[in-house]
Amino acid sequence: MLSATKRRIIGRRMLQTIPVIVLSTFIVFGLLKLVPGDIAVTLAGENATDQRIAEIRQMYGLDQPFLVQYGEWLWKAVQGDLSKSLLSGEAVLTSIARCFPNTLLIVVMGLSIALMVGIPLGIAAASRPGSWLDGLVMSIASLGVAIPNFWLAMLLVAFFALGLNWLPATGSVPFGEDPGGALRHALLPAIALASGGVAEVSRQLRSSLVEILSSQQVRTLHAKGLSPSNILWRHGLKNVSVNLLTVISLLANRMLAATVVVEAVFAIPGMGGLIVNAAINRDFPVVQGVVFAMVLVVVLINLTADVLYSVLDPRIS
Amino acid sequence: MTNVMDGAAGLQRRQLLALLGGTAAAGLMPCPAHAETRGGVLKLSAAANPSTLDPATGGSGFDHSFLWPIYDTLVEWEYETLKPKPGLAKWAFPDPRTMVLDINPGITFHDGTPLDAESVKFNLERNRTDPRSNVKADLTSIDTVEVTGPLQVTLKLKNPDFALPAIFSDRAGMIVSPTNIKALTGNASDRKPVGAGAWKFVSWADNERVVLARNDTYWRPGRPYLDGLEFAIIPELATGLRSVIAGQNDMAYALPPRLKPVIDRAKGLQVITAPTLYCIQFYFNSARPPLDNLKVRQAFNYALDREVFVKAALSGLGEVAYMTLPKSHWAFDKSLVGLYPHDPDKARKLLAEAGHKDGLEITCGCYTDQDWVQRAEIVQDQLGKVGIRLKVTRGTVAEISAQALGSEKKFDTLFSAWTGRPDPSMTYALGFDKGAYYNPGREADPLLVDLIRQSRESEDIAARAAVFAKLQRFVMENALSAPLAFQYELDALAAKVKGYTPDLLGKPKFENVSLG
Repeated sequence: MLSATKRRIIGRRMLQTIPVIVLSTFIVFGLLKLVPGDIAVTLAGENATDQRIAEIRQMYGLDQPFLVQYGEWLWKAVQGDLSKSLLSGEAVLTSIARCFPNTLLIVVMGLSIALMVGIPLGIAAASRPGSWLDGLVMSIASLGVAIPNFWLAMLLVAFFALGLNWLPATGSVPFGEDPGGALRHALLPAIALASGGVAEVSRQLRSSLVEILSSQQVRTLHAKGLSPSNILWRHGLKNVSVNLLTVISLLANRMLAATVVVEAVFAIPGMGGLIVNAAINRDFPVVQGVVFAMVLVVVLINLTADVLYSVLDPRIS
Repeated sequence: MTNVMDGAAGLQRRQLLALLGGTAAAGLMPCPAHAETRGGVLKLSAAANPSTLDPATGGSGFDHSFLWPIYDTLVEWEYETLKPKPGLAKWAFPDPRTMVLDINPGITFHDGTPLDAESVKFNLERNRTDPRSNVKADLTSIDTVEVTGPLQVTLKLKNPDFALPAIFSDRAGMIVSPTNIKALTGNASDRKPVGAGAWKFVSWADNERVVLARNDTYWRPGRPYLDGLEFAIIPELATGLRSVIAGQNDMAYALPPRLKPVIDRAKGLQVITAPTLYCIQFYFNSARPPLDNLKVRQAFNYALDREVFVKAALSGLGEVAYMTLPKSHWAFDKSLVGLYPHDPDKARKLLAEAGHKDGLEITCGCYTDQDWVQRAEIVQDQLGKVGIRLKVTRGTVAEISAQALGSEKKFDTLFSAWTGRPDPSMTYALGFDKGAYYNPGREADPLLVDLIRQSRESEDIAARAAVFAKLQRFVMENALSAPLAFQYELDALAAKVKGYTPDLLGKPKFENVSLG
């Protein structure tokens, strides 16, 4: 059971979510309206008369004032109806339900890889600061930050998919239908996503750990005769866990954004592709729906991090 | 790698065949004969989501490869020449103003509805009159459609129109199930297609996948060979090609020339290159300044270095366009070759005579993808050298085309492609006739209108070619557009794909394909 404090934190954060969602969807809606172009012209097709275009504007409410259009969308959204795509007629919720699992899988895998590789590297570097190992790890980390993930993605495809034929070069498989196939499809995109994350996790962990391990408190622990590994695991890592959690939550959010490019390289039908296509075609219900969903996910990640902060460090309330 | 047909060797072969057989489009060679294997699903990488799957309402030239499998057409064509041949129906012209269509017996749509005279009449009337129909302009010569037998439809024509057989081999002749259309409202037919083609529709996940399955009641015995077709929509063309190299898909079609070296380096792939009617060109709005001035339009044409464009933008995988038909076409008029050589001095002189001594700005619509951005940069440079400052606005194909060609008429010119039509008269009627959608100015000289009409008055190819020669000369001398180059088809196929043959239209059909 959650304590009253934690319930209060969750409740407060949930309330803070509302203005975030309203503001972000309002800004995106406004940007879509500012960008030149008119979906009614696209929908009307070739040889369309002005009358036909006007009819289409009326049919989809595109002739309404900006605030009325936004208000109508928001009113439906709070009732759970994210409208339909203007282009395909598919319910936006259905599109999201189809695409989100693909995105989620590569983000979760990418994050896992970033942590599984980044944490040991950070610890290794922090335990011998200034050594050749530290230098090597930090160089790898710098490289990880410097390499654009789309470029790494292409290299991975060229080597592992086209060269060695170990993994698929494109596409995705629903996890529910074929878990093994889904993981195989997601591995290369996840590695491409994780490269920057590995660097970030290892660098942050190293700097936090070095600071803790050189503190007077740790010197005392050494003097008391505790083994270095005991100090590292029981005292060092516990103290940096809050910092690490912050890095992880930020990383998860950033990876969600990076999927737009990585999904394009691997032709994965995910949220990135969905919003890019919709934005290009001014299919605003889809753009709004995806933004709405992504804001919810980001808020959820931040909320989870907030709750975990108070678990890891009871002083945080 | 198997070069089914490529580069210079392919051209020599074409020239040789043209000499031997005198065929107009000898460039299209079928793959070697093979024993067809039944079964298997052909996995394709397609560059674009279909605009719709209703032949009457769609507007993209890329839709055809999705449409051909679902809908059989009244008339079909020879791959090599686009010469019409019977499809769902045979046709006859008892007199120049009457066309009789005799439908093959025993054909049913995927929903079980019989394909008879009534259903053909329903389709033709729908295509002529439905507010959402995009093929109305193809059928303007039809006065009435009458059912004259259970399997016979008679068309009374306002004027002789011997282009109708070819017209019926395109969208206007793709027959949809009337039962399905009547059951649907609004634009639902765009996404729930029912035809009488070799494959029936299974699913369409937007921008992701289109799945088709064998039509077990298909009217042609023994066909189709394939159990199904699966189109993966991969707009990033290099990614689409990689999916074929990695063995996930069996074929990527309509690839840009820049990817040819990648296919060449890959192991175990077949590469197909073949001439097409895909013409990269400028559409002019010649009804308003500055392109209402003939000298400006001519200067524009003289400023373009087509040879360089073919080398730089198409990696040589194309041919210079002297008109909107390629050299291999039966209606090509060789007297027009060299009408507009690259002559910057002459272009400057013409501009000065037109009152633009210091050059001028011309607004242009174009697209956002990598290939079109590069093409536009090349022509911007060429035109800039004579003082034509091309101000390019980029957007999606649907949006920019609508802005340029629709009522908004936002640009002086549209830099785009004409994907070709089975009959050249369709190209001229749709692109240059009075009021035509692809003629942004909507105006046309009465002589031109008359020539377009004349081009459909005879069934004799030689007589028609003579009219087209006059028509093309008129269009080019008046510089009503600026054709630049024809892009060759470029496809990458896995070794197991057998029987694929490119067609001159450049819109792949999969009816002869099997998986070995």
